[in-house]
Amino acid sequence: MALNTLVVDDSSVMRSIIIKTLKLAGLSLGEVLEAGNGQEGLRLLENNWVDLALVDIHMPVMDGEEMISRLRKNKEYHDLPVIIVSSESDSARIEMLQKTGATFMHKPFTPETLREAIIEVTGVSHEDQS
Amino acid sequence: MKTKVEKALKAAVLKTFEETCYLYPVPELKDIQELLPLEAAAEVKYRGDFTGRILIETRGGLFRAIAVNMLSNQDPTGAQKMDALGEIANIICGNVIPALGGASQGYRIEAPKIIPLSEAQNNLLGEPLVWTVLNLNQGRVDLKFYVDGYYPVPEKKT
Repeated sequence: MALNTLVVDDSSVMRSIIIKTLKLAGLSLGEVLEAGNGQEGLRLLENNWVDLALVDIHMPVMDGEEMISRLRKNKEYHDLPVIIVSSESDSARIEMLQKTGATFMHKPFTPETLREAIIEVTGVSHEDQS
Repeated sequence: MKTKVEKALKAAVLKTFEETCYLYPVPELKDIQELLPLEAAAEVKYRGDFTGRILIETRGGLFRAIAVNMLSNQDPTGAQKMDALGEIANIICGNVIPALGGASQGYRIEAPKIIPLSEAQNNLLGEPLVWTVLNLNQGRVDLKFYVDGYYPVPEKKT
């Protein structure tokens, strides 16, 4: 199963790092879409099928928290696997975000960490990729 | 607190450069890189039980190398280089803040800001609580962590 992935981060450099790490994670990737904030991310979801979203928290226009909240209320995408990729250190906030069903991944991260997080949220196993 | 922050800062700098930029320390370059001129600086402010900032400074070509490695692009634009430096400062700040002892008490990290060279060169930000240096083949990085009210104040001569 090739995973269509949405990467949402206001830093183009960080999006680039996430995509590079995704490629190094050794999972079967489909299309990778990029958005600079939550609003752009939601707009991309209207016209594209996505299996996984990697979302930053602190972004202008619409932050990750708001984006995930809207996703969970959306009929089509309410159960979309989400990984929050952030340098957030506020454990109360992290706990609250995890209650939305998202997995939290702290920056910096290795391809192995990302791979484990993706397998955890999508259920894609090693066998599924062959 | 100083020892804890120092340990956290050193660990965060190493981990961030290795895992995000694929750049590794070369301690043997310490003396050679001692007098390299400053090329870029960025800061990230944090607010919570303590407030302060982290300042990142690059020397000797590292400013470009960070963006080149993060983007896998040999010719990054000025904006990309600044974005990359700011992101590195942001990641390191997020990893050091828990060492302040208030990680569960609502720290907020502001967006990274590029500091004018004149301001950084003249050390207008004062003395940091903790200062760590990493020497790399691509240049040198200095990380200065400030906690408002905790910077050392020089004693007056009587």
